[in-house]
Amino acid sequence: MADPVLVVERLSKRFSSGGQPVTVLTDLSFNLAKGESLAVVGRSGSGKSTLLNLLCGLQVPDKGNITVTGESFSESVNSDSDARWTELRRRSIGVVFQQANLMPALSLEDNVRLRSHLAGHAAGHERGWLERLGIGAEADRYPDQVSGGQAQRAALAMVFAMAPAVILADEPTGSLDRNTADEVADCLFAMQRDSGCALVLATHDRELASRCDHLLDLSALHLGGTD
Amino acid sequence: MMLVRAFVSHYRRHPFQLAALALMIVLATMLWTGVTVLTDQARNSLFQSEEAVAAGVHVVRTDGRPVRVEDFAELRMAGLCVAPWLEVRRPPPAGRVIGIDPLAMGCFGKAAPGGNRGELDGAPFLDISAAVRLAREGYDSRLYLLASTENETLPQGYALREFSLGPSTGELADSFLLNLDALSLLVLLITGLLVRSVHRLGIAQRQDSFDLLFRFGVPGRRVRQLLALELVVLTGVCVLPGLWLGTQLAAILGGGFGQALNSLFDVNLYAGAAESLPWQAAAVMVLLVLAVCLVDWLVPRRWQRAVSSARGRLLAVLVLFAGLAGVALAPDLAGVFAGTAVVFVAAGWLTPGLLALSAQKLSDGTDLDGSGPLTRWRRRELAVMFGHLALPVVALQFAMATVLAVQALVTTFESTFDDWLAQRLEAEFYVEVPAGADAGLAAERLQNLEGIGPWHRVTRGEAVISDEGAAGEDKTAVVDLFALTPVSELVVDWTLLASMERPWQRLAQGAVMVNEQLARRHQLELGDTLEFRVADTEMGANIVAVYADYGRPAGEILVSGSALPEDFSARFESFSVNPGEWAMAEISEQLADVWNVSDVTVRDNASIHALASQVFGQTFLLTRAISLLTLVLAAVALLIMSWVFFSTRAWYFRLLGIWGLPAGAIHHQLRRLSVTLTLAVTITAIPLGIWLTWVLVSRINPLAFGWSLPMDLYPLFWLELGLIAVVTGLVVAYLMRWQLVQRENGKQVKS
Ligand SMILES: Nc1ncnc2c1ncn2[C@@H]1O[C@H](COP(=O)(O)OP(=O)(O)OP(=O)(O)O)[C@@H](O)[C@H]1O
Ligand SMILES: [Mg+2]
Repeated sequence: MADPVLVVERLSKRFSSGGQPVTVLTDLSFNLAKGESLAVVGRSGSGKSTLLNLLCGLQVPDKGNITVTGESFSESVNSDSDARWTELRRRSIGVVFQQANLMPALSLEDNVRLRSHLAGHAAGHERGWLERLGIGAEADRYPDQVSGGQAQRAALAMVFAMAPAVILADEPTGSLDRNTADEVADCLFAMQRDSGCALVLATHDRELASRCDHLLDLSALHLGGTD
Repeated sequence: MMLVRAFVSHYRRHPFQLAALALMIVLATMLWTGVTVLTDQARNSLFQSEEAVAAGVHVVRTDGRPVRVEDFAELRMAGLCVAPWLEVRRPPPAGRVIGIDPLAMGCFGKAAPGGNRGELDGAPFLDISAAVRLAREGYDSRLYLLASTENETLPQGYALREFSLGPSTGELADSFLLNLDALSLLVLLITGLLVRSVHRLGIAQRQDSFDLLFRFGVPGRRVRQLLALELVVLTGVCVLPGLWLGTQLAAILGGGFGQALNSLFDVNLYAGAAESLPWQAAAVMVLLVLAVCLVDWLVPRRWQRAVSSARGRLLAVLVLFAGLAGVALAPDLAGVFAGTAVVFVAAGWLTPGLLALSAQKLSDGTDLDGSGPLTRWRRRELAVMFGHLALPVVALQFAMATVLAVQALVTTFESTFDDWLAQRLEAEFYVEVPAGADAGLAAERLQNLEGIGPWHRVTRGEAVISDEGAAGEDKTAVVDLFALTPVSELVVDWTLLASMERPWQRLAQGAVMVNEQLARRHQLELGDTLEFRVADTEMGANIVAVYADYGRPAGEILVSGSALPEDFSARFESFSVNPGEWAMAEISEQLADVWNVSDVTVRDNASIHALASQVFGQTFLLTRAISLLTLVLAAVALLIMSWVFFSTRAWYFRLLGIWGLPAGAIHHQLRRLSVTLTLAVTITAIPLGIWLTWVLVSRINPLAFGWSLPMDLYPLFWLELGLIAVVTGLVVAYLMRWQLVQRENGKQVKS
């Protein structure tokens, strides 16, 4: 595969819940190239969020390797790997959640500004990003003054403003109605194509998943199946 | 039943919330009970004994000497109804007791004081024989002879005086009690705010589950009823340990408090009967807790919103100015206190909004270069915090302002008192003239000592001035008389609040000086002629100076000893001596020789100073302790509140981490946020504290104590308070950080 942005090798993760070990991921491997998108599906509790957390270093695998834009991480944690993950999240990995992606005390514009500031970009293009997502008129509003769909668009604006190599989106349309969800998804895919970044999208929504280049079904994995 | 289970299960999951509210109620009750018990004790000491005495008068000797058993015998032989009243001073906490003779009391036709309450149990009344025994053990004692009120003809050499246990302190003692009441009101105000804030936050945390119950069809009224019941039960349970702790606190502070009463007013804290727990205080506390927690359901929504509206703010500003004007202009203490309360309410009303507004303005103006966007975010978070933590912020502001003012007052008093004492203790040694010894002979001897340093003879006694304001027919007041022979160079450095030219020379030539208390009470001015009676001689002299005389209420006239009439008899005499070329031992030998005693009591400057400082330290122990405890309570409340509040905010700090801000940097933001919060509160507390200091020294003190203090500011103490604020802020930050780490390790990212 040309230019792999994301390489996952034999990744395993388990939790202990009430003393009982719960295996969530076993020996998972896949690659994702620049500009490609991967849909992660599976029933609730199958480990979609867990996988995304592993991919941005918010959780640590029990086994396996993850390589993001050439930076490799194994199951061993130390302050160096911590710092490298932090730096990656800051500049190269954009994360979008189902909700609460915005700082409630800041206007949409200030939110975008803060995010791109952290990614090391100079201020000045915030409004442009909001306009590209169709919410330029709401730039001065606060998160509690806009609709759920507008808030998610703002979240996308924030992520694209940082010009990431990978976007990890965990049910980004999960709390929206069908029409709004489709509009937000349209924005997401259009801008992903334009920017050429890789996208990992965890979703329950089969229709949304079908718009991605690849599909990873975690429930099937559990049943012993493979992609 | 389902509801009850829902309530219980909530607390099982959030025991900390319950514990916080319980802790607040316990501590609030403790502080409040402590203050109330002490105030009641003082009130009782002031009134109980006086009330118990049917006779409002006692017999004194016109020569000014204390009455003795022989006088009692003489008066009884003259057929008068008099009864002995022997006061024995024991050091705290034993307290003073009063020995009476029930038989002699019988001649008033009324039951003996204490007698109607059953036994003479020593609190404070006991049989005179037991009191005499105590007096013989070496405790200080003083005998009074009570008389019935009828105008009886007294034998030659005796006079009737109004009987009150202290000197005629006028309204001063009332004022002092009012001061204490004000302090307890302040405690009540602050603790009320704190209890309310913790309770509100708990309710806010549970709002989701209430909404759920509502959706399940449980009427809101039912939920509220249960919440009220829950609060009643919790308060009932928590008030008890609070009460007990409060009485313990009162016991600890009681000693110092007794000293304070003693040195400020010459009022004695009598041994109080061990009363049962102060239930009244408990009832007030329960009512307060219920009122502050449930007020939202009683006051219409519309009003609540109006309070924080722009028009509400304007009203608050008006109220503030009204309060300020009230304090400045009020003619009496009650007015000053009411005005102060109004100012506090208005300040508390305005402060959180102002702080939030300034944080907002500051963040709007943030320079967006450099780390600007992050700074802007932090300032916005700060504005949010001021809004959500309004109550504990105000409580902390009040507590800090109080501590600041009390501290400034005490420090000013301390240094002023110290200067004053240093002036009074100008001489190196003091020699008490033993009872019955002739001070005149000693003076002659000292005069003949070649090479002795400056010295003078101090004579203390009483003078009577006319007092139009006095109650009853006797339009006179007894004041202290203080005579110096000669007017030596030891006194010329005294702080004179007002004086004519060459005051000391004029004093030596027969003019008088008066202390500030006397001047204020009788509106005496420089140049006025003061008419007064010493023994049986009417005197009149020009007032040439008013001098500062701190720490006691009694009025005093300073005269030159040469002006004293022949028939004057001193209550107390001493010499202030700088030995010069002599050794003090030689001088005291000379005096022992003159007086024909084996030993004379000589005290040096240092030991008197130490003694005075010790008494002083005790004097403000109570106020200091209460205000500091309130501060601690407010700080603890802020900790609790920020902790609970942060649980609703933690996600956004986590978000910063997801956006790639290193953990260290996030913790740095946390620290800056919380330290800015506490420092900002300190900054708003300082003007309020300064104003309160002014109220204390320039308004309350003169009205309550009769003397005023200079208004001094202590910026160093502000720094100290700032340091406390920084430490509190750091602890808050640490708690938040701990919570953040806990969350990261426990629940994973929200999705
Ligand atoms: N911190 C944790 N401790 C214990 N178990 C955990 C933890 N985090 C996740 N799990 C468990 O791991 C499994 C996978 O959880 P995850 O949140 O990844 O599922 P998901 O596929 O995202 O589900 P959903 O579609 O509901 O969001 C679940 O069974 C969950 O209970
Ligand atoms: Mg999930």
